[in-house]
Amino acid sequence: MFLIAHGISVRSDLPIPEWLFGWAAAMVLVVSFVALAVLWPEPRLQKPTWRPLPGGLGRVLASRPVEIVCGAIGIFLFGLTVYAGLRGTESTTANFAPIFIYVIFWLGLVPLSVLFGDVFRAFNPWRAIGRAVAWVARRAARTELPAPLEYPAWLGRWPAALGIFAFATLELVVSDGDRPDTLAVAALAYSAVTFIGMALYGVERWIDRGEAFSVYFNLFSRLSAVETREGEVGLRRPLSGLPRLDALPGTVALIAVMIGSVSFDGFTGKRPWNSISPDIAQFCQDLGLSPQHALEATFMLGLIGAVLFVAGFYWLGVLGATSVGGGFGARRLAREFAHSLVPIALAYVAAHYFTLLLFQGQAIVYLISDPLGKGADIFGTADTQIDYTLIGANSTWYWQVAFVVAGHVAALMLAHDRALALYADNRKAVRSQYWMLGVMVGFTSLALWLLSSANA
Amino acid sequence: MTFQIAHAGHWITSGPFFLPVVAFPIWLGVTESRERRREDR
Repeated sequence: MFLIAHGISVRSDLPIPEWLFGWAAAMVLVVSFVALAVLWPEPRLQKPTWRPLPGGLGRVLASRPVEIVCGAIGIFLFGLTVYAGLRGTESTTANFAPIFIYVIFWLGLVPLSVLFGDVFRAFNPWRAIGRAVAWVARRAARTELPAPLEYPAWLGRWPAALGIFAFATLELVVSDGDRPDTLAVAALAYSAVTFIGMALYGVERWIDRGEAFSVYFNLFSRLSAVETREGEVGLRRPLSGLPRLDALPGTVALIAVMIGSVSFDGFTGKRPWNSISPDIAQFCQDLGLSPQHALEATFMLGLIGAVLFVAGFYWLGVLGATSVGGGFGARRLAREFAHSLVPIALAYVAAHYFTLLLFQGQAIVYLISDPLGKGADIFGTADTQIDYTLIGANSTWYWQVAFVVAGHVAALMLAHDRALALYADNRKAVRSQYWMLGVMVGFTSLALWLLSSANA
Repeated sequence: MTFQIAHAGHWITSGPFFLPVVAFPIWLGVTESRERRREDR
C-alpha cells in the first residue's frame, strides 16, 4: 500500500557507510552516559514542575466550551471516517478512512502530542460521547448515576496493550487490513468495546488506563513541555511528565508492543524475513490453513516474536541491573525504568514513519474534498497531487539517525535520573545504568539496521 | 524447510551494525570484573 513508508529508497553519496552511522550513534550514547555520570549527580526530573500559561490562556484552552468544540470535531471526524469506510470507494488511497486512520490519526497525533501535550484527550470521540451520554443520563435521572465498578489493580494498562497489539495486527498482519470497509467495521467494534469499558469502570478511568489510543498518545504527551492540570494548560520541564508515569501492570508490555510492532514492520522489508517467511507460511499451509490464512499466521508469529524480542531485551537489561545490588527485584526495576522506553518508542515511530507522514499525509488535502473517492470536489482541492520531492533519500537518512540518537539519549537521561532517585549510593546508580546503556545501544543498532538498506 | 541462515552472504552486510552490541557485553564484563576486584581490595 504505502511503498515509501520506511524511506528505504535509493541513497547515494553518503559520506560514510550506513553501519558507521550505527557505530557513531553508539559512541554518542556512551559519551552521553559518561557526561550524565559526571554532570548530573542529583535527580532533576522526579519533582513535578509546572506553571500555568500566562494571561489566563491556560484556563481558556482547557475551558468547557473549548472542550465541547474539540469533542464535537473528534466525533465528526470519527463519523466521517466510518461513513467513508462503509460508503466510499474501495480504493485505499482514494478513500478518506485508511489515510486518516493510518497516517493522520495514528502517526500525525504522535508529533502533536510531543509538541502540544495530550491533544487526543480533547478530541477523543469516545470520551466526548461517554461524557455527553453521562451528562444526558444525569439530567434525565435528575440524580447522580450509580458509581462505576472499581477498576481492578491487576488490569493496569493491559487492555491498552491488547488494544494497540490488535491495531498493529490490523495494520501489519490482516491481509485486507487497509480496506476502507474493514477499517470502518473495526472502528465500530472498537467503539463498542470502549463504551462497555467506560460503562463498567467510568469514562475517565477507562480513558486513562484501558482505552488503547488514549493511553498510547498520553505516553508520548508525557515527553511534552505542555500539560493540562486541574482545568488549566501550563508548561513544565520537557520529559518531566514521564517519571510521574504510574508503574501499573501492563506498562512494559504496552511499550514492548509499541516498539516491537514498528520493528516488525521494518523487519518485513528485510531479506532475512523474506527468506524465512515463505517456509513458515508453507508450514502453516501444511497444517491445513488456506494460503491467505497461512500468510496471516506467519505475520502474526513474526509480530509476536518481535514484541517478545523487545520485551526480552529490556528484561535482560533489568536482570543485569539487579546484579549491582541495592535490594531491588527484577520486577520492581522493570516497572521503575519502563518510562525510559517511551522516548525509544518515539524514536522508532519518528524514524520509521516520518516519510510516510510527510508524503501520504499530503493526501488529506485532496481527501477532504472527496472523502468518499467518488469524484466530489467540496473545497476545490480534489486535484491536488502529493509532492514526493519534499525530502531526498539522504536527508531522510540523516533525519532518521537524528531521531534515533535523540530518542535514545533522552531515554538514557530518564533512566539515569530514575537510578539516582532509586539507589542510595550514586556509584550503584551509575553501575546499574551500564546495563540500561547496553539496552539503549542494542535498540539503537537495531533501529538503524532496520532503517538501513542492508539486507533490504 | 530450507532456512538460508547458512548463507553468510545474506547476513554479512548486517554484521557491522551489531558490532557495538557484541562489543558492549565484553566491555561490560571487563568493567564489572574490575569493579569487583576493586571492591574486594
